[in-house]
Amino acid sequence: MKKSITMILSLIFVTSAVLTGCGGNNNAATKEKVAPAPEVKTEEKVSEEPFEMTIRHTQIGADKEKRFAILQDVVKTVQADVPGLTFKLDGVDSDVNRKEKLRGEMAAGSTPEIFELFGSPDSRIYAKESKLLDLTPILAELGIQDKFSNLDPFTYEGKVYGLPIGGSGEGFFYNKGYYESKGWKAPTTFAELDKQLADIKADGKVPMAGASKAGWVPLMLANHLWSRFAGPDVTNKFATGEAKWTDANVVQGFAKYKEWVDKGYFKKGELGFEYAEYTTQFTSGEAILMYDGTWKSSVFKAGQSGEGLIGKVGFFNLPAVEGGAGDQTALMRDVNNGYGFSAAVANDPRQLAAVTSFIKNFYNEQMQLRGLVEDGVLPSMKIDQAKLNENITDGLMSEIVAVLNASQSSFPAFDSLVQADVTTEISNIQIQSLIGGQTTPEKMGAALQKVQDEANAAVE
Amino acid sequence: MLRTFKKCVPHAILLSYLLVILFPFLFVLFSSVKKDNLEIALNPFGIPKEFVFDNYIEAWVNAKISTYFFNSLYIAVLASIVTILLGSMFAFAVTRMRQGKWNGILFSLVLIGMLIPNNALMLPIYTIVRKMGILNTHWALIIPYIANAIPFTVIILAAFMRILPREIEEAAVMDGLNAPGIFARIIIPLTVPAMVTVFIVNFLGNWNEFLLANYFLSNDELRTLPVGMVQFRDQYQMNYAQMSAGIVYSVLPVVIIYAFLQEKIIEGLTAGSVKG
Amino acid sequence: MNKALKNPLAFTLFVLPALILFLMFFIYPIFSSIYYSLTSWNGVSDTVKFAGLTNFKKALGDERFWISAKNNGMFILFSVFIQVPMIVIFSLLIANVKKLKGLYKTAVFMPSIMSTAVIGILWGFIYEPNIGLLNKIIGLVGIEPIYWLSDERFAMISILLTNAWQWTGFYIVMVLAAILSIPGELNEAAMIDGATGVQRATKITLPLIMPIITVVIMLSIAGAMKAADIVIVMTKGGPAGTTEVMATYMIKYAITNFKYGYGNAIAVLIFMFTLLVTALYQLLVARRNERIEY
Repeated sequence: MKKSITMILSLIFVTSAVLTGCGGNNNAATKEKVAPAPEVKTEEKVSEEPFEMTIRHTQIGADKEKRFAILQDVVKTVQADVPGLTFKLDGVDSDVNRKEKLRGEMAAGSTPEIFELFGSPDSRIYAKESKLLDLTPILAELGIQDKFSNLDPFTYEGKVYGLPIGGSGEGFFYNKGYYESKGWKAPTTFAELDKQLADIKADGKVPMAGASKAGWVPLMLANHLWSRFAGPDVTNKFATGEAKWTDANVVQGFAKYKEWVDKGYFKKGELGFEYAEYTTQFTSGEAILMYDGTWKSSVFKAGQSGEGLIGKVGFFNLPAVEGGAGDQTALMRDVNNGYGFSAAVANDPRQLAAVTSFIKNFYNEQMQLRGLVEDGVLPSMKIDQAKLNENITDGLMSEIVAVLNASQSSFPAFDSLVQADVTTEISNIQIQSLIGGQTTPEKMGAALQKVQDEANAAVE
Repeated sequence: MLRTFKKCVPHAILLSYLLVILFPFLFVLFSSVKKDNLEIALNPFGIPKEFVFDNYIEAWVNAKISTYFFNSLYIAVLASIVTILLGSMFAFAVTRMRQGKWNGILFSLVLIGMLIPNNALMLPIYTIVRKMGILNTHWALIIPYIANAIPFTVIILAAFMRILPREIEEAAVMDGLNAPGIFARIIIPLTVPAMVTVFIVNFLGNWNEFLLANYFLSNDELRTLPVGMVQFRDQYQMNYAQMSAGIVYSVLPVVIIYAFLQEKIIEGLTAGSVKG
Repeated sequence: MNKALKNPLAFTLFVLPALILFLMFFIYPIFSSIYYSLTSWNGVSDTVKFAGLTNFKKALGDERFWISAKNNGMFILFSVFIQVPMIVIFSLLIANVKKLKGLYKTAVFMPSIMSTAVIGILWGFIYEPNIGLLNKIIGLVGIEPIYWLSDERFAMISILLTNAWQWTGFYIVMVLAAILSIPGELNEAAMIDGATGVQRATKITLPLIMPIITVVIMLSIAGAMKAADIVIVMTKGGPAGTTEVMATYMIKYAITNFKYGYGNAIAVLIFMFTLLVTALYQLLVARRNERIEY
């Protein structure tokens, strides 16, 4: 009997030690994070001992090689700049990084030192929990705090927590060769667009590329449609309750999308296709139009998958909708893709130096222009118009810039304005249900509003 | 006449089932040497007119299949072996060592584990792995894999050990063997068939595991075959010929190993499970 | 006399390593899940707020949750009522043929050694609407292409078929071994008595292999509750959430939606669901063939 008591005790002791060991770590980690950052700037001699930092990027796959080359060059420069530093590059699909990896790692406190970060709402959630490095002092030190055209998505309580890599706008890419063969021009009215879509369909071609396995792809166009019908600022009002997803104008936007689906304007079976297929439908000439972000222009460069279409691709804004609300030239534009840095960097002066060097070498005019020229990414920093014009030699790029300049206002995509729940509901369920014919525009609006109400009511 | 007919029917049924099993592999094999999607579409069933091996070169360059393969192999083997070691020790203790009610209590405790679908525990396990500071290392998979397979291992091995006659170890004790000695020299050799079974089942489970591997590792060099292949698919999905080459790479080593060991694997799997 | 085997220290040393791992990776996670399921923690914040049973109420009131629970149920029903009879029939057939037995056994087992993810990719190609094998085959008899994975009517069944394709052979080999271990004399005696093949199979073989069939059913149910990887690889739960299973639903909420507390509530519901299914099974089936001895 005595022996078995000893045994229980020893078992309990060992296991509880293991478990409390786990718990104990947690508190220690929290305390560490709270520790004030700037005071570590000691005058110690910088050690040359080798150290490693990880950069999480999303430049994977053939279409992002150019962007990856830019990052690699910056990595080389920074490594030469900071003694002992080696960067490890960790490439992950961008949606996976944003929605799975980073969220899990934030919870775990195990993010890489440098990572691609989505501006709004993600960066604010992380900033609120002190998971991100405050970049304000670094920007001041480098003197570039006023160089960015828009840092709003990455700003929380007046401090900057991330820096956008570039900007993007969304509109239609179209097959110029096909348009010319028909004697058409880019549509200027909505009716004209509708007519063209119908004619392309009648011609036996696919009017618009489609690949809706990931909900955000069809939502680019859907978002623009409801913003045309209900006004560019409508999405902004969902979270405050000033507007509802059930408003007639919003539902009209969904209905328009549904109408196009029903008329067979998208490739059949597109619910099963990944985003990569989207581009292929267009570059292969199968689909005549493709609604996508300006980043896609990088595909139509020598050595890329859209090589065959160089000079044969044009870009236009979604035409004005008759009776639509608000500015009918408004474009969907975002500066939401950027880099963020782990708050833990502040505790290590050498890592902090590396981050500073990274920012210095990544965010400058030269790299921004390189991104524009090589990769088709619009600058996120203010750059002299003359210098810009001088660097744009690509026909498609100048067309894109012209479209951007012709629009009088812009609005951000819905996923930077509504809560994560609403984003999941619309992109994982509702838009696919709409395409698949399991819901109606009205029901979709009602379902979204229900989630929106819950999200608005939940006080964090 | 009727006799031969009767003899043929089972073969006809079985051969058609065989066709269902094997044809997908052939389809992928043929597709991997076709030029592009168009050629696959035009000639889906047959052998290509001309063989294109570029797909294999490109797939090899674009996906680090060899890295993924060896990662998976060593993680799966190591975790399976450690599970068997720890599981058999536990099973030995609860079946052969006399500790009164403790034997039963501990055994039933571990039985509970069989009822829990372990991917439901993913979130807390993530937390534990993170607190242990092994996230993004192979240990983040190896340790949970070892733990996850313990209930099954213990149950099978305990069933096996329980039916060994008591006299065996009584004789051993007379010879002056202590508990570890009995375990290592007497019980282990007698349980080898069951261990082979358990090893195979655990190995397949670890080799297949996708969820933890997908969420707990983020470095490309660390990825296991299932996760690496899915990532490869997502990136090069549109090029089915190249994707097929990737599938062939990932399947071929397994098929070769299986070809050599198939009798052992099948025998091992059945010997333990039927008797146990 | 048996002192060596009564030494508590040795006993402790033998059980401890496995026990610690078990407590860490099974028992602690269960309690942790239960704890967090009662909170509204977002998974990131340092403060954890208690929320009572709100998460459970929300889950049970969510149509999406029930769809995913239903899909787990489909996995179970499909395995038990379609796969298991096929497994038994094929095993009986293989056991009774004289030639090619080895080939059949080797070939049917092969899909089980490949990883589910790779099989998901392979079948994704077969289901591909334009160039995939399946549509090419049905095209031969003039059927219009079917959008297997993107049409909500076919997506779930496509996944179930792939799952069956992978695992049927594995169980066939198990059942086959049980059949082959039946002493030959029994069959011979029956043959002399004039029993037909079918009679012998149902009257002699089947009752004798019932225990292994019970094991196969148990394993299928466990497999059905675990299925998540194949869904993630093939459809990511789409189209429109129609192929979501409980585990993928949980991951989606806990990680993608910053709802760690809610995700854990789903985890707890998964335990309860599993316990329920197991209890039902024990009551309805296993009772009759004596309870399963672990």
